[in-house]
Amino acid sequence: MVNAAAVSVRGLRLVARAPILSNPLNIVAFALIAVFAACAVLAPVLAPYDPLLQDLGSRLQPPSAQHWLGTDSLGRDIASRILYGARISLIIGVVVVASAGVVGTAIGLVAGYLGGLVDEALMRLTEVFLAFPALILAMAIAGALGPSLTNAIIAIAAVTWAVYARLTRGQILSLRRREFVEAARAMGATQTRIVVRHLLPNALAPLMIQASFDLGSSIIAAAGLSFIGFGAQPPTPEWGVMISDGRNYISTQPWLSLFPGLAILLAVGSFNLLGDGLRDAFDPRLSHSD
Amino acid sequence: MFRQLRQTSLAIAVAALLAAACGAPTPSASSSPGASPSAGGAASTLVIDRDTSDLISLDPAVLYEFSAVFATHNVYETLVKFEGTDLSTIKPGLATSWDIKDAGTTNDITFKLKSGMKFASGNALTADDVVYSVQRAIKLNKSPAFLYTDIAGLKADSIKATDPTTVVISLPKTASASAFLTILTFTIGGIVDSKEVKAKETGGDSGSAYLLDHSAGSGPFVVDHWTKNTEVLLKANPNYGGTKPTLGGVLFKQVPEPTNQQFALEKGDIDIANNLGPEQVAALQGKSGVTTTTADSLQLVYVGMNATVKPLDNVKVREALRTAVDYDGIVKDLLKGNGKKVQGIIPRGLAGYNEATPFQADVTKAKALLTEAGQTSVTLDFLVPTGQAPGGVAFSDLAAKLKSDWAKIGVTVNIKQTTTAELLATYRAQKGQLVMIYWGPDYPDPDANVGPFTDYKAKSIGWRNAWDDPTIAQKGRDAALITDPAKRAAAYKDITDYVLHNGPYVVLYQPSELFGLRSNVKGFNWSSIGWAELASVTK
Amino acid sequence: MRFLGFLTRRIVGIAAVMVGVSIITFAISHVIPADPVAAALGDHATDQQIEAFRAEYHLDRPLPEQYLTYVVALVHGDLGRSIRTRRPVSDDLFDSFPATIELSLAALLVAIVVGIPAGVWSAIARGRLPDHLVRVASLIGGSIPVFWLGLIVIGLFYYQLGWLPGGARIDTFVTPPPSRTGLFVIDSLLAGDLDALRSSLLHLVLPALTLGYFSTAVVARMTRSSMLEVLSQDYMRTARAKGLRERVVILRHGLRNALIPTVTILGLTFGSLLSGAVLTETIFSWPGLGRYATAAAIALDFPAVLGVTLLAAIVYPVANLVVDIAYFWLDPRTQRG
Repeated sequence: MVNAAAVSVRGLRLVARAPILSNPLNIVAFALIAVFAACAVLAPVLAPYDPLLQDLGSRLQPPSAQHWLGTDSLGRDIASRILYGARISLIIGVVVVASAGVVGTAIGLVAGYLGGLVDEALMRLTEVFLAFPALILAMAIAGALGPSLTNAIIAIAAVTWAVYARLTRGQILSLRRREFVEAARAMGATQTRIVVRHLLPNALAPLMIQASFDLGSSIIAAAGLSFIGFGAQPPTPEWGVMISDGRNYISTQPWLSLFPGLAILLAVGSFNLLGDGLRDAFDPRLSHSD
Repeated sequence: MFRQLRQTSLAIAVAALLAAACGAPTPSASSSPGASPSAGGAASTLVIDRDTSDLISLDPAVLYEFSAVFATHNVYETLVKFEGTDLSTIKPGLATSWDIKDAGTTNDITFKLKSGMKFASGNALTADDVVYSVQRAIKLNKSPAFLYTDIAGLKADSIKATDPTTVVISLPKTASASAFLTILTFTIGGIVDSKEVKAKETGGDSGSAYLLDHSAGSGPFVVDHWTKNTEVLLKANPNYGGTKPTLGGVLFKQVPEPTNQQFALEKGDIDIANNLGPEQVAALQGKSGVTTTTADSLQLVYVGMNATVKPLDNVKVREALRTAVDYDGIVKDLLKGNGKKVQGIIPRGLAGYNEATPFQADVTKAKALLTEAGQTSVTLDFLVPTGQAPGGVAFSDLAAKLKSDWAKIGVTVNIKQTTTAELLATYRAQKGQLVMIYWGPDYPDPDANVGPFTDYKAKSIGWRNAWDDPTIAQKGRDAALITDPAKRAAAYKDITDYVLHNGPYVVLYQPSELFGLRSNVKGFNWSSIGWAELASVTK
Repeated sequence: MRFLGFLTRRIVGIAAVMVGVSIITFAISHVIPADPVAAALGDHATDQQIEAFRAEYHLDRPLPEQYLTYVVALVHGDLGRSIRTRRPVSDDLFDSFPATIELSLAALLVAIVVGIPAGVWSAIARGRLPDHLVRVASLIGGSIPVFWLGLIVIGLFYYQLGWLPGGARIDTFVTPPPSRTGLFVIDSLLAGDLDALRSSLLHLVLPALTLGYFSTAVVARMTRSSMLEVLSQDYMRTARAKGLRERVVILRHGLRNALIPTVTILGLTFGSLLSGAVLTETIFSWPGLGRYATAAAIALDFPAVLGVTLLAAIVYPVANLVVDIAYFWLDPRTQRG
C-alpha cells in the first residue's frame, strides 16, 4: 500500500528545503494570505453586522464610526459584507483549484504514464478545452445551468483543469525516464507505487505554482461572472456582486464599488505574490526576484 | 529569435487580414455607416442614450420590442391615434372619420381617409396602401400579428378598399370594436408605402428584409440607418404632411450602462438618457443643465399565486398574503418613489383604472384571516427572476422584502431565483406556487389586461395561476364588447373590485419610467404606451 | 511531400479541436433546463408561435440529428440563425468581430509598447526604485479585475477630468470611415479621413489601456525575467568588465534573446484578450464580439454562442498555421514537428 503520509511529507520537505522564507516578498505574501484566510474563517466573529441585514434608514452612508466602510443601497454594512465575501472567495478559490487540480492532475498522470493512444486522446481533449476563450466557455456553462455561485464554480473549474493535465503530463514524461524510476522498477515496485511515490512528488512544484496563481484568477473569474449576472446573485455578499450593486452609484457613492474591488486586488495580489515566490524558490537559478 | 518576432507579427497581420475579410460587408448588411446625422449635426439632432439591445426589426408588421415601438412610432402613421399622453380618447389619424355598422355576422367599420396625403417617397397614400399594410401583417404572422388575427379575428379578406379614400374592415362580432381601434393606434397599424415595399420584395418576404432597417412611411421622420449594436438614426421627413418637426434628426445610441448614460448626460454629450435608475435621478438633482422627468408605464409588477396549490386554493389565505405586504415601504424605500401603489389589474392611464388600494401591511388582520382559514404556518416556493425589476429595483430585493413581510404572519417562502426563460417555462406549465413577474398590456385597452388576468380559456396569466372562474371570465368578455364608455367603466369597476379580493394576484406596484434630459430639451412627453412624439421636441 | 504531411497533420489537428469545441458547446447549450424560445418570443407569445419557432430552428428534432444538421450547414459556411436577433449568425459575427479585433490589437500594442521597455528597464535597474515600481505595477495589473478598472477609468478620465471619451468607437457626430477592414483606425487612414482617425484613436485609448493592462503586466514580468537571465550570464559579466561600448552591444544582443519567451507570451496573450474583451466591451459600450457573446449567453441563444466559440477557437490556430506555412515556404529546411 502506498503511504500517503510519507508522500506528502516528502513533498513538504521539498518545499521547506527551498529558500522560500528568505525572500521578504514571500513573507508579505504569506502574511496577506493569512489575513485573508483569517477574515474568511473568522467572518462571523469579526463582522460587526449581519451582512444581509437591511437598514433602510441608513442607506448609502459614507465611511463612519458606525460603519467603517459605509453602507450600501439597502443600508447593509459594507465592511461586514466584505468579510463574508472573503469567505465566499476563499471557498471559490479552494474548490476550483482542488477540483480542477485533482481532475487535471489525474488525467495528466494517466496520459503521461500510459502514453500512446490514451495520451493522444487525452491531450486532444485538453487542447479543445484550452482553445475556448475562458470567460466565454464559463458564460456558456453558467448560462446553461442557470446563474448561481455553484454553477459559476463548476464553469470556472471546467476551464481550469486542462492546464494541470498538461503540466502533469509534461512532468511525468520528463521524469519517467530518470534513473530512479528504472531502479525502482528493478526493485520490483508496482506501477502505482512508482507513480505516487516517485513521480508525483517531483512533479509537484509546477503544479503548486500554477495552483497559487489559479487561486487568484478563479476569484477574479467568479467576480467577473457575477458582475455580468452569471454567477452569485444578490443579496450574496460576493465581491463581484458588490461591485455590480454599486456600479450605478459610482458618481455619488463610489465606496460601494471601491472597497470590494480593493479587496479583490489585495486577495488576488497576495496569491500572485505567493506564486512568484514559489517559482523563485523551486527554480533559484532563474532568480526572478530578490 | 527574429523568427519568433516575425512569426508573431505575421500572426497579427493575418488576424488583421482575417478581420478585413470578415469586415467587408455585404451590400445589404446595414453595417454601412450612412451619412452623418443631418446637415445641422449636433445642433439639430436629438441624441438619446438607450439600451436598444432588444431591437430585432424596424418593420411595423414584425416589431414588438419596446425600443422598436418607440422609434418606429415616429416613422409611420396610423388610421387612428391617441393625442399626446391621453390614452382614453381615440382621435383621427390618417382617417378623418369612421363609423361602425352592424352587418350581420360582423361589424363593418368604414374609414374615410384624408385626401392628398403622401409618403416620404413622394408616392400618394391611398386606401390600397392601408389594405396592403394590414394584409402583409397578417401574412407575415410575426410577433404582433396576433393582435389582428386573434384579438380582432381578422383574416386577409376582412379588409377592402372601396375607393381610393375609403377602407372597410369587417370585424367579427366576437371582437371588441374599441379594442380594435386601440390596436390600430399601435405600430402594427403603421401604414407602409405599398409601391415602394412591393418593389423591394424578395423571395416572398413582403419586403420585410428591406423594412428591417429602412422605412417606407409617412410619419414625421424616416429611418436613415441602423448600425447594429450601435445606433439608429431617424431624419426629418421633408414630405411630411403635418407640422414639420423642428429637429433635423433623432439618434438612438446603444448605451446599456445607466451610469454611462448619466455621465454623458451631465457632460452634455447626449440630450436624453432613457434608462436611468432612481439612484442616477437622485444624483442628477440640482445639477445645472440637466433635469429629470417621470412618466407612468403601463406595466404592473405582481406575484401570481397558484390557485390549485394548497393552501392557496383558499381565498382567505390569498387575501392574507395580500394584506401582509408593506406596499408603501416598497414604493418609498425600494423604488425610491419610482412607482405607484396600484393593487388592481388595470394600470393607471387606461380606462377602467380602479384607484382602490385597500391593502397595506396589516399583520393582525392577515393573521386573523389565516386562522379563519385553518392555517397557522404555511411554507411555499417563491420563484423570482434574476436582474432588475421595472422601476429600477432588483427582483431579489423585492423578494427579500416580501419574504420578511410574510414571515411576520407565519408564512415561510423559499426564494428560488432563475432566469426569466426558466421562470416563464415553469409558470406557463402551471407549476409555480408563488411567482414574481410583471405584465404590460399589448394594446392600450383595459381588455388587454382583464382578458389575460381573468379568462382561464385565454391560456394567459389566469391560466398560468390555474384560476378557473367562469363567471368573472364571462364578465370580462362581456365588458370588452360594451361600447358605451360609462357602462364599460362601471363593468370594469365591478370586475377589478372582484379580482382585488378573490383573484390569485398580489399586485405590488406600477413602475414609472425615468428620463434624464438636458434643460434645453422641451416638448418631450412620454406616453405610457411606450413612445413620445418626437416631432414636437425642440432643443 | 514533407510539407504536405506537415500541413495535413496540422489541419487535421485544428479540425479535431474544432469538432471537439463544437461538440462540447453544443452539448452545453442543449443540456439547459430552460427554453430559449420562450425567452426570445417573450411573455405574450402564443403556444402556436412557440411551436412554429421551434420547428423553424429544428429544436424539435432529437439532439444528434440537430448536431448533424448543424455540422452539414457549417461545412457550407452556414452558422445558423441567431434565436435572439433572428439574423444569420455569420452576419452578426461579421458585424461585431472587427470591433473586437481592433480593441484587442490596440491592447496588444499597449502591452508591447509599454510592457517590453518597462521589463527591460526593470531588469537593468534591478533592485532599485524603477524595478520596484514596475514590479508593483505588474503585480497590480495581474490582480486587478478589469471591469472594476474600467469603471474607475471612465469615472476618472471621462466624468471627472473630461480628458477622453467614455464609450463607443467614434464621436457621435463624426461619420465612421467607409468600411474596408472594419477597423476604424485603419479605414480612416485608408480613406485619408483625419477627423475619423482622430476620433477613433481617442475612443480607443481608455478601453485599450484597460484591456491591455493585464497583458502589459504579463509581458513586463516575462521580459524582466528573461532579461535578468541573459544579463547574469558569463559573457555579460565579461562585457561589463571590458567597458561601456561592448556592454551596449551585448545589451542589445541580450535584449534580442530576452525577447524570445516574451514574444511567445504575446502570442498566448492574444487569445486571452477575447475573454477580457467580454467585460471591457460591456463597460465601454463597445459593439464587439464580447458583448454579443454576453447577450447570447443570457438569452440561451446557442447558435450564437456556438458561432462565437467556434470563431474564437479558430482564429489563433489558423493564424499560427498560416504563419508556419509561410515559414515552411521561406525556409524548407525548417524542421517542423
